[in-house]
Amino acid sequence: MRRTSIYPLLFACLFMTACGTAKKLADTQTQQFRYEMECAGNGVQGTYLVKVWSFSNRIDVALEQCRKNAVHGVIFKGYTGRDGCVSQRSIARTPGVEMEHREFFDSFFADGGEWQKYVTLTEGTQEVIDLGKEYKVGMVVSVAKDDLRRALEAAGIVRSLSAGF
Amino acid sequence: MKRIILGLVLALMCGNLFPQAKKPTLMVVPSDAWCIQNGYATTYDNQGIQVVLPDYQAAFQNNMDLKLVVAKIDDLMAERGFPLKNLEQTMRSIAQREAEDNMITGKNSGASLLENPLDKISNVAKADIIIEITWDVKKTGPKSTLSFIMEAKDAYTNKSIGGASGTSEPTFSSEPVVLLEEAVLAHIDNFNVRLQNHFDDLFANGREVSLEIRVFDNDEGIDLESEYDGMELAEIIDEWMEANTVQGRFSKLDASESLIRYEQVRIPLYKESGAAMDTESFARQLHTMLRKEPYNLPVKIINRGLGRTILVIGDK
Repeated sequence: MRRTSIYPLLFACLFMTACGTAKKLADTQTQQFRYEMECAGNGVQGTYLVKVWSFSNRIDVALEQCRKNAVHGVIFKGYTGRDGCVSQRSIARTPGVEMEHREFFDSFFADGGEWQKYVTLTEGTQEVIDLGKEYKVGMVVSVAKDDLRRALEAAGIVRSLSAGF
Repeated sequence: MKRIILGLVLALMCGNLFPQAKKPTLMVVPSDAWCIQNGYATTYDNQGIQVVLPDYQAAFQNNMDLKLVVAKIDDLMAERGFPLKNLEQTMRSIAQREAEDNMITGKNSGASLLENPLDKISNVAKADIIIEITWDVKKTGPKSTLSFIMEAKDAYTNKSIGGASGTSEPTFSSEPVVLLEEAVLAHIDNFNVRLQNHFDDLFANGREVSLEIRVFDNDEGIDLESEYDGMELAEIIDEWMEANTVQGRFSKLDASESLIRYEQVRIPLYKESGAAMDTESFARQLHTMLRKEPYNLPVKIINRGLGRTILVIGDK
């Protein structure tokens, strides 16, 4: 009786550990820029519409990470365009800016962090590709780039266009 | 009272601690190619040569797409802390000012305002950075595509600051005006990246300006080959330029006994006092030196905006 009551608890612990490991791995991959981002349309004023691809052995983790990667990509990576969809450069272009403001970005990109304010997913755009050991999951999201830039300018991470004048 | 004085002192100190450079003005102008292509141009005969010039007033009065593009760019640039100088509004202000100037007379003498020919010529719409825009809608069957070019140029050095261009995806439905708005939204950030690079360069290496030294033809016997302590005036000015430009950076484009044309002159953004510096205040330092012993030269300064000044030696 006692032994049977331990199993669900054990499974729950193992499940949570697996989830946590997958999440940690996804965050590490974000920091290592292991995601793909492309233009998904010329968004409305103040936003970028991008398609982000993330990798994970868990689909739900990859889907969640797509949103975070979109914000990360707009800040640090930029994206390519095609067929009239315009390529955009990253907001923070100074080399080493991520390391220089590590404390800020650790808190910004933490789970439930401020990054969530700047991204909206587009329903019905998810795509999943089974790569064998992991999944490649893509979705279209909209990033509020003007608000994001303003927040980074206020935090002193990037210079505003009129700084110094 | 003490608090007010303390506040004022602190405000003055902050002003010196965080000096602000002079902000360049930006103006959106339709390109010559676009104006001519769309029939907004005037032609005149210049000694047998037909010269075609853009007619901005006609363009703004008749083309709604142009007004929309300018308004959109203005809106987006204002959001980035850089409101534009509006060409249409500036032209209107100039016309208004001219009308007002013509009406001003002295109460006793009835004299009108003194205006030299140079004042008249310089009374045109000006900005430090000109943003030229061009677009063209092409129809292929039922589909249309829009090609868009946005290019910024320094008004004084004529150097390209940067630009953004592209062609939209062929579309069935969108009206040209919608495509145009989309193009502005899609290209403005890349354009601003180039503009930011230009400003970063300006803060790192000084403002790039041009300076001209000329001589009045007044039989005083003074020119740029006049000697002082065994050195020609042109050499003395060269030495001064080397000592006062940022890292001694300038190029001498033309030089003769009556003219020196300096370009790519990198002047500091701030004076020693911390106040902002423009080409006129930079040239005024040279003007001060030339007026003193052993030169004692009368010098006239003609200011042509934030980035161009002419110093004329030999008279006021």
